[in-house]
Amino acid sequence: MRPLLLLLLLLLATAHGLDNLLYEPLLAGANLGGRVTGSTFVLEQPRCIFDNYNTSDIWLVVATTAGKGDFNDSAKVEMPKWSFQHFPANTSAYLTLDAMQYHYRCLEPNGELTVLRVGSETSCVNNISIPNCNGPLPGPGPYWVKFLALNGSEPVATTQWSGPITLKTARQIPSSPGTGGGRSGAMIAIAAILSVLLAILLAAFLVVLCSSEVCGVGSFRPDSASIQRYNTHHVYDQPAARL
Amino acid sequence: MAKTDNGIRICQGLLILGNVVIGMCGIALTAECIFFVSDPHGLYPLLEATENDDIYAAAWIGIFVGFALLALSILGIIGVMKSNKTLLLVEEKWRHENCKGNTEKTERDSAEKGREAVKQTYIILMLITYAFEMASCITAATHRDFLTPNLFLKQMLERYLKSDADNNNDKWMTEGVTKTWDNLMLQNQCCGVNGPSDWQEYTSAFRVTHNDADYPWPHNCCVMDNRGEPINLDGCKLGVPGFYNSNGCYDAISGPLNRQAWGVAWFGFAILCWTFCVLLGTMFYWSRIAY
Repeated sequence: MRPLLLLLLLLLATAHGLDNLLYEPLLAGANLGGRVTGSTFVLEQPRCIFDNYNTSDIWLVVATTAGKGDFNDSAKVEMPKWSFQHFPANTSAYLTLDAMQYHYRCLEPNGELTVLRVGSETSCVNNISIPNCNGPLPGPGPYWVKFLALNGSEPVATTQWSGPITLKTARQIPSSPGTGGGRSGAMIAIAAILSVLLAILLAAFLVVLCSSEVCGVGSFRPDSASIQRYNTHHVYDQPAARL
Repeated sequence: MAKTDNGIRICQGLLILGNVVIGMCGIALTAECIFFVSDPHGLYPLLEATENDDIYAAAWIGIFVGFALLALSILGIIGVMKSNKTLLLVEEKWRHENCKGNTEKTERDSAEKGREAVKQTYIILMLITYAFEMASCITAATHRDFLTPNLFLKQMLERYLKSDADNNNDKWMTEGVTKTWDNLMLQNQCCGVNGPSDWQEYTSAFRVTHNDADYPWPHNCCVMDNRGEPINLDGCKLGVPGFYNSNGCYDAISGPLNRQAWGVAWFGFAILCWTFCVLLGTMFYWSRIAY
């Protein structure tokens, strides 16, 4: 009981002092492929920021541009006003991603990924009994976030607002052929050369046909030629030679 | 006469050699086109859905042209070898014309007519085969130019895991595209055409049934373990390197299709150039012999 009383006294002493921390929430590193998608984004965890606030809950406040100005730091968490299901139609901000302070304690840098994915819970999107659902964001934004440390329902510390976070918007499916379309030089070369070769072949075939009996043009009959020659050079009384 | 004799024999030897090469090239063309038609990479459903599958038509034509070239080359060899006798008969005729008379004339005429028919059949059939092979080459080369990344991107976005189908044909094509893409992504460890960002940048049929928060990209883009499950689904959704495949599948698609198109087109072109020379030589040779 005694330590609790002491704690209460301490809290009362600092109740009216809301610490304004200089930290600005950041998007996660650019090497993450899913850093910003159509309805989610990924933030760096606020490590080492809330080390002095041992007993607090750290909440994430997500707001639209209007909510950034309207948001009151003494918002009560349970109030339906600040619930995800009413965002953004009836409220311009909501609180989500509740975490105990020790989740964000200082760690030695060991290469582990320390990120928060905003918008990953799809099961509680329409569930009014879970007002602090970390549901997918309804539009492309821009959104502003900050971290708020609450002790019960008293705000103890708050970070700065982040820069504007705009989500991806999907475009229509491309209809043009894009790069690489059109006729390549190789295709034109093949078509042209083959056409010329075929034309030469057809011409040669016609010449060969017409130089033989088929065309009937200047037919060069072997029999008649040889007979003619024999008629010229041999004795005339060869009955078999005459036709 | 001896000189022309040698010249004619050289001509015959060259023509027989030319026809042998044509025959072997015909067999090679048939084998190559059968290999392409068998679709070892399973990419045919993608082209069927784009209605741009004429490089497969070119390969089918190539199979039959290969057989035709083989048959015609054998016919050509027989024709060239038989014309040897034509030459001798003509010489004989010159020598015995005065002594014997024209008793063999009728037999000679029918034999000549037969050979004339063979020659003309050979040349006409070769020209027809030439025209078909030319069509195959030009088709393969032209349609290869249509295979751009955007073509496959459009197909993938419109058909992958599309839930409602207009008719049976549509359903068949959708299933083909889905199955092919699943196989592609699993076997080649790739995602999308240009990368997983394709699923984020463009609207798709996939996005209609799978929400963006749970499926920023299909789960087949995740690195899988031996049982076919993603090793870390959250890591995959976050896009952590090592848990999802960040490279695109376009290389895995265009590589085999380009090889097929260029294989059919350029090999066919080479065969046709050689056939051109052999045909010209044959026509020249037969026009000189048949006098």
